[in-house]
Amino acid sequence: MSSKDKIVTAVKNNQPEFRELPPLPGSGTPASAGQPAGHSPASPEQLASSPEQLANKFISILEAIGGVAYIVSGFDRIASIVHEQHPDARRIVSGCPELAALAETATRYEDPHSLENIDLAVLRAHFGVAENGACWITEDLMIERALPFITQHLALVIRKKDIVAHMHEAYERIAGLESTGTSYGFATFIAGPSKTADIEQSLVLGAHGPRSMTVFLLDEEMSDAGFY
Amino acid sequence: MKENTKDHAALAAQFNQDEPRVDWHDKTLWWIREKRDKAAHNVPEWELLRDTASGIKENVLSRLHEYLLQFEEQATRNGIKVHWAADAKEHNEIVHALLLQHKVDKMVKSKSMLTEECHLNEYLKEQGIEVVDTDLGERVVQLAGEPPSHIVLPCIHKKKEEIGEIFHQHLGTPAGNADPQFLTHAARLHLREKFLTRRVALTGVNFAVAETGEFVVCTNEGNADMGAHLADVHIACMGIEKLIPQRHHLGVFLRLLTRSATGQPITTYSSHFKRPRPGQEMHIVLVDNGRSVHLGRKDFRSSLKCIRCAACFNTCPVYRRSGGHSYHTAVAGPIGSILAPNLDMKKYADLPFASTLCGSCSNVCPVKIDIHEQLYKWRQVIVQAGNAPIAKKAAMQTMTWVLSNPGVYHTAGKAGRWFMANVPFTVNNSLNPWYKQRDMPEPPANSFGEWYKKNKK
Repeated sequence: MSSKDKIVTAVKNNQPEFRELPPLPGSGTPASAGQPAGHSPASPEQLASSPEQLANKFISILEAIGGVAYIVSGFDRIASIVHEQHPDARRIVSGCPELAALAETATRYEDPHSLENIDLAVLRAHFGVAENGACWITEDLMIERALPFITQHLALVIRKKDIVAHMHEAYERIAGLESTGTSYGFATFIAGPSKTADIEQSLVLGAHGPRSMTVFLLDEEMSDAGFY
Repeated sequence: MKENTKDHAALAAQFNQDEPRVDWHDKTLWWIREKRDKAAHNVPEWELLRDTASGIKENVLSRLHEYLLQFEEQATRNGIKVHWAADAKEHNEIVHALLLQHKVDKMVKSKSMLTEECHLNEYLKEQGIEVVDTDLGERVVQLAGEPPSHIVLPCIHKKKEEIGEIFHQHLGTPAGNADPQFLTHAARLHLREKFLTRRVALTGVNFAVAETGEFVVCTNEGNADMGAHLADVHIACMGIEKLIPQRHHLGVFLRLLTRSATGQPITTYSSHFKRPRPGQEMHIVLVDNGRSVHLGRKDFRSSLKCIRCAACFNTCPVYRRSGGHSYHTAVAGPIGSILAPNLDMKKYADLPFASTLCGSCSNVCPVKIDIHEQLYKWRQVIVQAGNAPIAKKAAMQTMTWVLSNPGVYHTAGKAGRWFMANVPFTVNNSLNPWYKQRDMPEPPANSFGEWYKKNKK
């Protein structure tokens, strides 16, 4: 008998009697297909979340976890902020063709190890999550899977209106992205810079990954004057 | 590491010799518990989330064999190679065989309590394989030659000066430098070289999704990703209970996990691995190692719902004051004390007694495991199986005799009061375990029985 058969048989013999999946909170989606929509209570917070409030919450949480946010009108503004923030950057890589003047915009690297000396990566992400300051990014936006981790500094660009309230909505959004586009082989939520508190609980930013993490919130309706 | 023969009480006594350090350990963990509370209170539907997480895991346990098969099918379709390991030995051999197959004798590893449980590092060392733990806390304890003392904060028992000394010896940092910022930077440079040169990376798994065949790894440091995306071969090892049915269930668990663990709203990275990158190999090892047996124990199976957040450690008055090493098992704390006896009831017979049964662990558990009730139930099972600690057994037998004989009971009470009042040194000495870290109380002049007889009239 193979180990697989042994394990599966033992599990089958010992597992308790069937228990239904509960409905998921925070969304009308039932936990499994075919059930009527769940009547889980939405929190007051969820009911009163305008796009503006979501963006504000996202920014305040991101700042609390060591990230930085800028609301910007377009890529020109992103370019000038990048310039100000990283005057000494030798190697910048970007997945945004709009930044071709200041960054490498290759779409593929043969060997991820060649990314070792990158100072800054500026990448598009799909959306942000207000409750935890995380951004969802799939591998098609990363150029290389290693890039968002190996770079010394990371900046992500999302549209300001693409911020969901919480993780339940985030997974609804992810399911939507999958149904319209191709499915990801790798994807991640990134919330702030790489960090550790393993030495006496002292928070240190820049453990193995980026030492800083910036999110640019694109607001196309915004004029160039009087922001940030 | 040497085989330990001391029980929790003896190991805790060792830890307790340095009282200021115990106070420091206690306060640090309580501070994390308070951060957890703040994070939980910021989510109005927190209790609903706990109920839901518990319900999803109950469903997982009730259909685990189907989810396992579904996961294998989906993961295989995604191009991941799935392996099954009945026990720790088979798990270690599978990992070793993969390393041999790729002619590799060095690898990087991110945090995996399962590999601690299986003693993978020791096994591979014997086979001449060098394993570098890349989580900062794990690297610290690895260099110190110790196991982690906490599943989320592996070197929580170490002072920064000690870490400075370890880094001075092994990484060549200046002697006496104990600045966390400086030491973390030194580790960053040291481990970056490892990430860039190792061809095989092993990671743990926080959640595996049956529906899609993907798995999720959560870290703050980014070490799992640094290892996996730079390596030619990614091996992910998981206990069979880590499955969840569908991807959107991650929404529930990712909201709970880090808030419960450290009070953060989410880990910096929650990485979803579904397919190997072009040219890469991805392996998953599904490990049983006693879990299928545990699943059959009606009173104890719900401990398999655990998502390893360690909230029960941080809140536990015994853990905070006895340290993780006193539990002599890979997963310490209250949850470890109900998981370990399943693996070896005799070896871990002491652990369910390492609790005050205050119930705080059950109250903070994000998947609502009735931890303190299981601790209590394990005590019954252990005593009935004849595995109770000898002193405890003798004390209980004496107690039974005293309590079932009214004459003996009254005489014993009187004698006790007389001894405590007239010759207190006979009880205030180190032979009496109750005297450790405590003063004995003033004895009353008479027993309640005597007082009642006198005052009844």
